[in-house]
Amino acid sequence: MKFIKDHIMFILPLVAILLGIEFFLVFDRMTASYEQRLREGYSMLVVSNEPVTLQELQSINKNIGQSTKIEKDEILKEISLGQKPEDIKEIINTLPSFYTIKLAKYLDTSDLDKLQKDLSANKKIKRVETFGSSYSSNYKLFSFIKFILKVFIVFMSVVSLFLVIKQMEVWGYVHRERMQVMEIFGAPVMLRSGILFKVAIVDAFIATAIIVSIFLYFRYQLAEIMELDILVNNSQLLFQPIDALILLFCAIVIVVISVYMVVFSSREKEA
Amino acid sequence: MANIIKATDLTLAYDRGKNEIIKNANFSIKKGEFVFITGPSGSGKSTLLKSFYGHLKPAGGSMIVGGVELSGVSTSKLQELRTHMGMVFQDYKLINEWTVAKNVVLPLMIAGYSLDVQQTQAQRLLRHVKLTEYGNKHPFELSGGEQQRVGIARALAKNPMLILADEPTGNLDEYSSNVIWDLMENACGQLETTVVVVTHRIPTIFSLPYRHFIIENKGVYEVH
Ligand SMILES: Nc1ncnc2c1ncn2[C@@H]1O[C@H](COP(=O)(O)OP(=O)(O)O)[C@@H](O)[C@H]1O
Ligand SMILES: [Mg+2]
Repeated sequence: MKFIKDHIMFILPLVAILLGIEFFLVFDRMTASYEQRLREGYSMLVVSNEPVTLQELQSINKNIGQSTKIEKDEILKEISLGQKPEDIKEIINTLPSFYTIKLAKYLDTSDLDKLQKDLSANKKIKRVETFGSSYSSNYKLFSFIKFILKVFIVFMSVVSLFLVIKQMEVWGYVHRERMQVMEIFGAPVMLRSGILFKVAIVDAFIATAIIVSIFLYFRYQLAEIMELDILVNNSQLLFQPIDALILLFCAIVIVVISVYMVVFSSREKEA
Repeated sequence: MANIIKATDLTLAYDRGKNEIIKNANFSIKKGEFVFITGPSGSGKSTLLKSFYGHLKPAGGSMIVGGVELSGVSTSKLQELRTHMGMVFQDYKLINEWTVAKNVVLPLMIAGYSLDVQQTQAQRLLRHVKLTEYGNKHPFELSGGEQQRVGIARALAKNPMLILADEPTGNLDEYSSNVIWDLMENACGQLETTVVVVTHRIPTIFSLPYRHFIIENKGVYEVH
């Protein structure tokens, strides 16, 4: 009974830390995918007097990722109906070039303003039009939630780490007597702490398995039951196999450090 | 005969040399001897014994045990040396969450013997200290005298070259004490193990002319 209690007291905070890490991973992926969608949904139309290449545009502002020229033929077809061929030539010469521009990365409002200003300031460019007005208001809420969540995750992890260390101290008292007796009889560190390492690594696996099952359940069951469209459509954001490795790695690092703390605090002190 | 312990100008101190307990002591103990070290309470008997197994390193001078200079000895060398020693303590220092049989073969476990060997040796050792029936019990279920017999069995497990005992009968009645002394004398006489016993008073049953050191005013002197 005491054995089980000792383990739960160790596994629970470990689970809390891993939960924080997994939330962080999930949120990071969601953020990335959301930003990508925002970025893709946003476009800018540039009208210039003479043709400009992507390189030229990028030298004006490096946040431009892509530019597509709108072919003049399309426009011409519309406006040249019934015109004489000489007039059409004239129109072609005076018609400016149109480009749609995609961003290289997600930009906040001030960077967008700057991009717009940079382009407008260029002599070649006549006009700059943007589409995607909800861009900044959505994103402000989004970054606020992101910030709150990060603060929460850090706070939870710190508290949990203290609990892990606390439980390790309890183990330290439990195992100290045995480790000291073994040391008197010449046992090397690995033998003295072997049992502790075994127990702690088993706990690391248990904690990882708990988190992995919870998130697999979220991914395959809960999202559908709750009809969370965003999650159903993006369920691969919720859990990815690599997460299991990241979590296991973190769990093992945490327990190994904790065990070393116990082992070294129980070494015979030469007064 | 060769010395198993040799102290030259040995100084032992606590608190980084500020609190000297033994100062410039010179003595030696030969292989196969049975030796008593006595002295009043607080004179430094336990301190001296701790220095024999390297728990306390010399603050000055030299201490050679089993051919190893303990002043500045490496951890691995010290661990190896300790596997040739058996320690016995007043408070037994048994591991309560282990069975008696497992406690007894701790030195064999440390030396990496197989479980088979450990089991047969546990039986032999428990028979030797007349605790054959107690192998599966835990130390806290035993009386003080029985626990100390387990302690002796553990000390003898690997036929050590040296047994170090700190007040081994300090918590025992006269009858149990005599059993312990018998086992120790036997270890020295039959198994040719060197035995060093620290005690505040030499038990009356000892009539043999064993050597006897006394700690006085931070010095270690032989009593004749
Ligand atoms: N770990 C320690 N740190 C500091 N002083 C100690 C320590 N152990 C013992 N002492 C001091 O060393 C002196 C000798 O102690 P000890 O060797 O235990 O005496 P004895 O065993 O002869 O009764 C005492 O004054 C004691 O207070
Ligand atoms: Mg003492």
